[in-house]
Amino acid sequence: MNLSNFNEFCNRAASQGVLFYYTGEFSSNVIGTLSDTVRERLEALGTPNKHGRKVFSTFMEMAQNILHYADDSATAGRRIGALAVGHEDGKFYVLCGNPVRIDHVERLRAKLEPLRSMTLDEIKAAYREQLRNEAHAEDTLSKGAGLGFLTMAREASEPIDYQIIHHAGDSTYAEFYLRAVI
Amino acid sequence: MQALHIPATKETPEVRLDPVNMSFHLSGESYPENAMAFYAPVRASLQSFLESPAVGSGVQAHFNLRYFNSASTKLIRALVGMLQQKAAEGIRIVAHWHHDPDDDMMAEFGADLKDEFDAIEFNLVASETV
Repeated sequence: MNLSNFNEFCNRAASQGVLFYYTGEFSSNVIGTLSDTVRERLEALGTPNKHGRKVFSTFMEMAQNILHYADDSATAGRRIGALAVGHEDGKFYVLCGNPVRIDHVERLRAKLEPLRSMTLDEIKAAYREQLRNEAHAEDTLSKGAGLGFLTMAREASEPIDYQIIHHAGDSTYAEFYLRAVI
Repeated sequence: MQALHIPATKETPEVRLDPVNMSFHLSGESYPENAMAFYAPVRASLQSFLESPAVGSGVQAHFNLRYFNSASTKLIRALVGMLQQKAAEGIRIVAHWHHDPDDDMMAEFGADLKDEFDAIEFNLVASETV
């Protein structure tokens, strides 16, 4: 990238309200550093606790999802992803993207699609049900409590949005993007 | 039963088990990469604490959490479930669930625990000092 392109990149990020953007490897140390940065940025903006906590919670769920689920088969075990936090039209947004295995795509859709048409009360009911669901251990893919997307959906003020972009040819992974507005 | 004190880290809460006062404290933030690895020994310590003879005089449990991630959620609930089991045996268990007054998620989580684990004397405390 030359300097004028970089200038364009910076201006574009600023015009979209980007407060924070990271792309690269996600590890525990990286997430620790990013979390400090996110909190400092939110504090510097004078964000009320109530909103700051929701933004932070959503950021953490997304960052740990990348750490646990980003497909690392093409990157020698390194979990690569992108994450952005921004403020636009009076609301915060948190975005993330990472490669996922093709054979996990349908599972993601099945988890996310129903959330998009649920009311907040329905999301809270589903959250409570999942919280008490002891059979979750049968979901061998999940490394958490199966509550990650439900937590994000609870914090969000709009339905969470996602996109799956397939590569041409016989690629073993697709790009998975997720957006939450708080 | 020995006293237990696990100091807080950036990603894990402070844990205290005090067999003199029969009190249990969990405070701070909880978002470890591997929540199970952190909570398994806490669970084991709480279990032996609850089995100590002094438990007959009752237990005070203080939850003072600022934030926890989704992976910690079920594990924190399970600790309250252990207290409930003891309370159901007739032991007096008083729990204090502190939350920031602006934190509706933490308040609702506490209210749900209070509803579900009804053998515990459960106090929801909105306090600025969290």
